[in-house]
Amino acid sequence: MSVADAQATVTIVPASTAPLVSRDSASSYWLIAPAVIFMSLFLVIPILMIVYVSFWTQTTFKIEAKLTLDSWQTFFASDTYITSLFTTVRIWLIVLVTTFVVGYPTALFVGLFVRNKTLQTALLVMCVIPFWTSFLIRVLAWRPMLGKEGAINIILQGLGIIQQPIEALLFTELSVIIGMTQIYVVFMVGPIAFMLGRIDPSLIEAARDLGADFWRILRKIIFPLSLPGVVVGAIFVSVMVLGEFATSAALSGRKVNLLGNIIVTQVGSLKWALASVVGVILTVIMGLVVAGLLRIVDLKKEL
Amino acid sequence: MESKVLKPILAVYVGLFLLFLYGPFLVLGILSFQQGPEGGPQFPITEWSTFWYKHLFGLAPPSRVSPLPIGEALFRSMTLAGMTMITSTVLGVMSAQAFRKNFRGKSVIFYLIVLGMIVPGVLVGLGTALVATTTGIDRHWWSTAFATHVVYTFPFAFLVMLAIFNRFDSSVEEASWSLGVSPLKTFRKVTFPLIFPGVLSAMLFAFTLSYDEFSRTLFSSGRDQTLPLAIYGTFTVEIHPNVFAFGVLTTIFSFSLLAVYAILMTLSVRRAKRVAIQEAIA
Repeated sequence: MSVADAQATVTIVPASTAPLVSRDSASSYWLIAPAVIFMSLFLVIPILMIVYVSFWTQTTFKIEAKLTLDSWQTFFASDTYITSLFTTVRIWLIVLVTTFVVGYPTALFVGLFVRNKTLQTALLVMCVIPFWTSFLIRVLAWRPMLGKEGAINIILQGLGIIQQPIEALLFTELSVIIGMTQIYVVFMVGPIAFMLGRIDPSLIEAARDLGADFWRILRKIIFPLSLPGVVVGAIFVSVMVLGEFATSAALSGRKVNLLGNIIVTQVGSLKWALASVVGVILTVIMGLVVAGLLRIVDLKKEL
Repeated sequence: MESKVLKPILAVYVGLFLLFLYGPFLVLGILSFQQGPEGGPQFPITEWSTFWYKHLFGLAPPSRVSPLPIGEALFRSMTLAGMTMITSTVLGVMSAQAFRKNFRGKSVIFYLIVLGMIVPGVLVGLGTALVATTTGIDRHWWSTAFATHVVYTFPFAFLVMLAIFNRFDSSVEEASWSLGVSPLKTFRKVTFPLIFPGVLSAMLFAFTLSYDEFSRTLFSSGRDQTLPLAIYGTFTVEIHPNVFAFGVLTTIFSFSLLAVYAILMTLSVRRAKRVAIQEAIA
């Protein structure tokens, strides 16, 4: 198509629906090339490098490009690493459930019960604001909350609910779960509230007129319609929790070792090959989780 | 729907939820005014003071608590965030501009870009460190760490610009071209002012994400620490309220960034309106 033809099409078709072909797509390639080169060099190659190096030969202080399965065998033969694999999967599942359970009622209120757009936006903004503070500071902030002399224990004792401070709150798996839930719950609330906000109120009204009680409406109408939001939220939370290591480092007192923590320790002692093995395992888990979640709903159709 | 009962219950729940989100931060803010240098990072407050803020700026008398190494780290983080912001916004605008037309491989390239924000930082950091060590490239915050930051923030800038171009009325550009204005000048004089609010948002995203980024930086920045790395260093040792005071200050800094963004946004929207009115009159 010549440029003149293209311009002719554009003038006939209304602007909003015009196929954007006013110039040939060669210019698109020039515009996109830097991005593609950048992402290939600094994202694709590093990730492939992890896979490659996981088969390298590791000696005490250096790695050689001699292919071997040694590091893989080390990983699967070690109780520590297998335990860490299971801990990672367990914490991921628990946090997935807690973010959903804690986040869904909030999303329900914001997305469905608040019909005032300004209030809706205000509530969502309030949920997002903590994100404008440093991630590490947000993690650290849980220490004075959960400690033996922490705020929660002081408040509970002050109210007379408990006599002795609960020591299990800090430096346990529980503290990691509480911390992660607070940090990642917003990624559940956002997408779910978005989907709930799109539900036509007359749909719910019709169900009520036909005599359905709220739980039935929730189960049969609201939840299925919000499912794409749940899936998107679950993908966000999964990817972030599986790649975590800072929260467990700060709040578990080294008791919880996630795969991410193993990578950090291995890199710290220059065991690149083993770190790469863990990296590959993490990538595989993540790929499986995301692929599995995407099977639940067809996002392209829903969004 | 039993909304008469349910709505208040849910409203109370949301209140508790917000308390859960903000509670730790309130506690952190209160404890940053702990007495120093003996006061620990927990309740009760022995005496209210601004000791830890002075400590942060090196104004407090020397004590057993060593000051946070934030001076140079702050400079590095700001410079890095600035570099990242410019690079990823330029790349974002260019790529989104390219995406306005159809070309082969478009959807593959889309996933390639979005992958940058999905892949966990610890993996990107590890991969970059591996490439650097095996090729003998030195790791620095302004080289390898910079690359990992752009890989992360550029997809955000790209998506923001994509959303902006989706609602973009291209007839104004066509008008400009048909008047014989060169494409480059059209972009500068017509397109760019119209997409400027989007550019601002992309810049805000890129700056704040990079300024706070840490899992990518951990392996890829080499010896010199950025600000989040300096904070991460305190994780392993006993923490003191100076970290809390620092947390309060970075939060204030982030909010002032947000305020600057809001002001610039209002101004640019107002200017766009004024131009529109002038055009309507003419």
